[in-house]
Amino acid sequence: MTVTAEPQKAAPETKAKIGLSEGKRAERRLAWWLCAPAVIVMLAVTAWPIIYSIWLSLQRYDLRFPNDTEFVGLDNYIAVLSNGYWWTAFGVTMLITIVSVVIELVLGMTLALIMHRALVGRGLVRTVSLIPYGIVTVVAAFSWFYAWDQSSGYLTGMESAPLTSQWSSLFIIILAEVWKTTPFMALLLMAGLALVPEDLLKAASMDGASAWQRFTKVMVPVMKPAILVALLFRTLDAFRIFDNIFVLTKGQNDTSSVSMQAYNNLLKGLNLGIGSTMSVLIFIAVAIIAFLFIKVFGTAAPGSDTEGRR
Amino acid sequence: MGIAPFRGQPVTGRRRLFTALAAGLVAAPMVAACGTEQGNIITLYYADQEYVPGIVATCNEQAGDEYEIVHRVLPRDADGQREQMVRRLAAEDSDLDLLGLDVTWVPEFAEAGWLAEFTGSNKEAASEDVLEIPLETATWNDKLYAATMNTNVQLLWYDKTLTPTPPETWEEMLEMSQELKDEGKPYEILFTGAQYEGLVVAFNTLVNSAGGHILSEDGTKVEMDSGAMAALRMLQKVATSGLVSPSLSASQEQQIHEAFAAPDTKAAFQINWPYVWAVTPTLNEEKAENLAWAPLPGLDGHPGAATVGGFDIGVSAYSQKKDLAFKAALCLRSAEQQKYAAICAGVPPTLESLYSDETPIAPCKPEVSQDRLSMADAYPMKETILDELETASVRPLTPVYQNLSTITSKLLSPPSDINVNQTAGELREQLNEALQSQGVLP
Amino acid sequence: MAVATPTRTPVLSTPGGKKATWTLINIIVVVYALFPVAWIVSLSLKSSESLTDKNFFPVDPTFEHYETIFSKESSLFIRPLINSIGISLIATLIAVVLGTMAAYAIARLDFPGKRALIGFSLLVAMFPQISLVSPLFEMERVLGLFDTWPGLILPFVTFALPLAIYTLSAFFREIPWELEKAAKMDGATPGQAFRRVIAPLAAPGVFTTAILVFIFCWNDFLFSISLTSTEASRTVPAALAFFTGASQFESPTGPLSAAAVIITIPIIVFVLFFQRRIVAGLTSGAVKG
Repeated sequence: MTVTAEPQKAAPETKAKIGLSEGKRAERRLAWWLCAPAVIVMLAVTAWPIIYSIWLSLQRYDLRFPNDTEFVGLDNYIAVLSNGYWWTAFGVTMLITIVSVVIELVLGMTLALIMHRALVGRGLVRTVSLIPYGIVTVVAAFSWFYAWDQSSGYLTGMESAPLTSQWSSLFIIILAEVWKTTPFMALLLMAGLALVPEDLLKAASMDGASAWQRFTKVMVPVMKPAILVALLFRTLDAFRIFDNIFVLTKGQNDTSSVSMQAYNNLLKGLNLGIGSTMSVLIFIAVAIIAFLFIKVFGTAAPGSDTEGRR
Repeated sequence: MGIAPFRGQPVTGRRRLFTALAAGLVAAPMVAACGTEQGNIITLYYADQEYVPGIVATCNEQAGDEYEIVHRVLPRDADGQREQMVRRLAAEDSDLDLLGLDVTWVPEFAEAGWLAEFTGSNKEAASEDVLEIPLETATWNDKLYAATMNTNVQLLWYDKTLTPTPPETWEEMLEMSQELKDEGKPYEILFTGAQYEGLVVAFNTLVNSAGGHILSEDGTKVEMDSGAMAALRMLQKVATSGLVSPSLSASQEQQIHEAFAAPDTKAAFQINWPYVWAVTPTLNEEKAENLAWAPLPGLDGHPGAATVGGFDIGVSAYSQKKDLAFKAALCLRSAEQQKYAAICAGVPPTLESLYSDETPIAPCKPEVSQDRLSMADAYPMKETILDELETASVRPLTPVYQNLSTITSKLLSPPSDINVNQTAGELREQLNEALQSQGVLP
Repeated sequence: MAVATPTRTPVLSTPGGKKATWTLINIIVVVYALFPVAWIVSLSLKSSESLTDKNFFPVDPTFEHYETIFSKESSLFIRPLINSIGISLIATLIAVVLGTMAAYAIARLDFPGKRALIGFSLLVAMFPQISLVSPLFEMERVLGLFDTWPGLILPFVTFALPLAIYTLSAFFREIPWELEKAAKMDGATPGQAFRRVIAPLAAPGVFTTAILVFIFCWNDFLFSISLTSTEASRTVPAALAFFTGASQFESPTGPLSAAAVIITIPIIVFVLFFQRRIVAGLTSGAVKG
């Protein structure tokens, strides 16, 4: 990357003769101009669809019976929320989210400590652990699929097909999810580890604290903000799980996530009313999760001073 | 074709960056637009079946300048194919001219107003010589909405060294299998038991073989009569008999034919489509020599009755070139083309006369073999197929077939967990909801 | 840059034994990370006949599947590959340019609405993308964007923007802004200060963000399967669903694996050459005191 402009050479034409308030105003104007394009793009792509989804969720709207379209108020919400399939998918999604995030936290912390402390091959460890992060989810999912597939998989016998029963499928889905995202978790945690003052650890060590005590009493409290941000982002991500399930099981045998089910109702069932209702419910669930993290656990709102990303 | 303007050099500075950006934005739509918008192009949205390039080329040659069919490939799985087309048809997309339709989709597409009706001479040409049952799959509310491309029925495949005489009923098949098992010989009965359309086909076949019905004649009410109950009982019985593969609930067509042809196979019977005849020799020549076929076994004193599969071809209601599209459709399903597809790609034709046709065709793959094959060479089992087609049944004809199928395969899966009365009750209730388009898909 | 620069601690002693332990740990991590990758590579090198032999390594390595995807029906893989590269690059460029502008404002300028902007991008980042699929589809149909490059670039940019804005504003906070002040004292307007002073200093951060955004776009699956319908814009992850086996009922394991390997190559290249930057980018904004 070569951007060639000498930093020091500033243009001397305009003397700073403007008043403070006017300078402030110019700064605001500039800020708004700079932000406008990003905001416009994000608004254009998300705002209308959100409103449209909410509107659709209040209608009976099945593309195969376009003439029967009518306003039905909250009927779709009642239909979805009283349906066993929805709650199965919701339960499955929650299970995948909680189990995979917990495992990721433990493995991620271990990996972070390894990357932080490694005496040999630190670069190697960091490099290879970025591969799961970077690899296309669908590619990784296909790899797991073929590994457990009945005809080609080296992990299964000719007679067993783990991807066709609920619990073994969920295990594999969680495995794929954990494999892919643990390094990301580890990197976020590693950044937190870097904030733990070494002399504090040394002092604790001299006071006779065991390694475990040093970890729980010294490192974890300092790292708490980092841990919470990492958890928030991974939880929101895991809750929206789609690609892995799409490839591994297509949602069969009660392994559908809520996103998968919304997709099925929207694009397979062509039932825009029911499908949009699910979309809105997913959105609400995501908002509740974020709210809980920020208000209850006191996760620093990303963007204030502590940001993360998806 | 223009491709995005990146040649790997680093972007140096914002101006160049913006230039590249602008060029990219301009180039992108051009790329997208290439190759469409010509007056006589007919787009064919069809699965990537082996025979399609061949028949498209032949039709284009015969059409001269009149039209040119362009094959737009659809995904490999049926759900994906349907999703692709349905999404665009719902948006009244005029870029689709011809649609490759699985036989179960015709009522849905027709009811939604996405298919142009075959009338007059087109209707005549598309119905002449066509077997009755396949033609039924192209019909909805007594109107013809598609032309038949190929049909399909499953057969009972068995190893003639194990069972010289094939079973005629399911009960008999279970007995034979048990005897073979007791003798320590391969004994398993293989059929499609995974949670997908194949399980619905298996169940539908059982229902028809027992003379039952899942839906009423007009497809508006759930029937689940005594025949359907008998089918449910048999499915449960077979699945728990210990005579099926432990991976029944993972079995799709491929797993079945592979398991049957495996060197250490435990299978004695498989219920599968006619392609088994062509694929088995490539996997296991010895097994292929002992491979034999029979009509599907019967149930409850009724003769076996297959479920009809196959493809139809429809003209989109939003096509801007319907006249040409109808012509192209009729060409793609002509006797010559169906014969080619049947012999070179193993899909049974829908035209009755082809089953007695004896003239060989030009070599399928001249670069591999110069053999000129006839119907009899490729289809030694053609009589059985023809017989089955006489009694075969169509899967429930209804616009919400997709929902019915999803729910049916869900409730029947895994087959070993079926509790006859409870499952039947759930089927009645949920199929009924689906028929009212109120149900939630799993 | 807020790279975590770990300091080696004397907590661990006896170098010899520790070294062996660390080597073992390293091996475990490497196996963990490469296991699925190695398997898909192995599958792609197996001949059609040996695909179902269930060995981890191919007994008779062959490039037949690579030949298949690059020769025969080229539109099935080559076209999507071009689309994937082109669309991801353009989306990355746009997202980084727009993100840089917004991140600069967030990091440096004082203006009302900053918190709202941050909150809004967080909202977009959490957005369940599935909710967008059908309205976006209808919207793009009306605008003629369905199944075009811009039709995919638009949602890619949208969902990459929060990522770009967060990462970039974190980088920008680390830049020595005294230089900007100096420039302003010399009479430069805020705009000129941005262009001449800050942009060059920000370049490494921008580049890092570009890599992260590219990986993000490259990864997309949901939009590619819902907003495309022909090879005009279909990207590779979506195209994998179009691969076909020898017959209707057989699975295309070999060619699919080969295609999967090809689209993994850029990721491996990025990781090998820019490991430090990616780590810095991922950790920079995440945690600060």
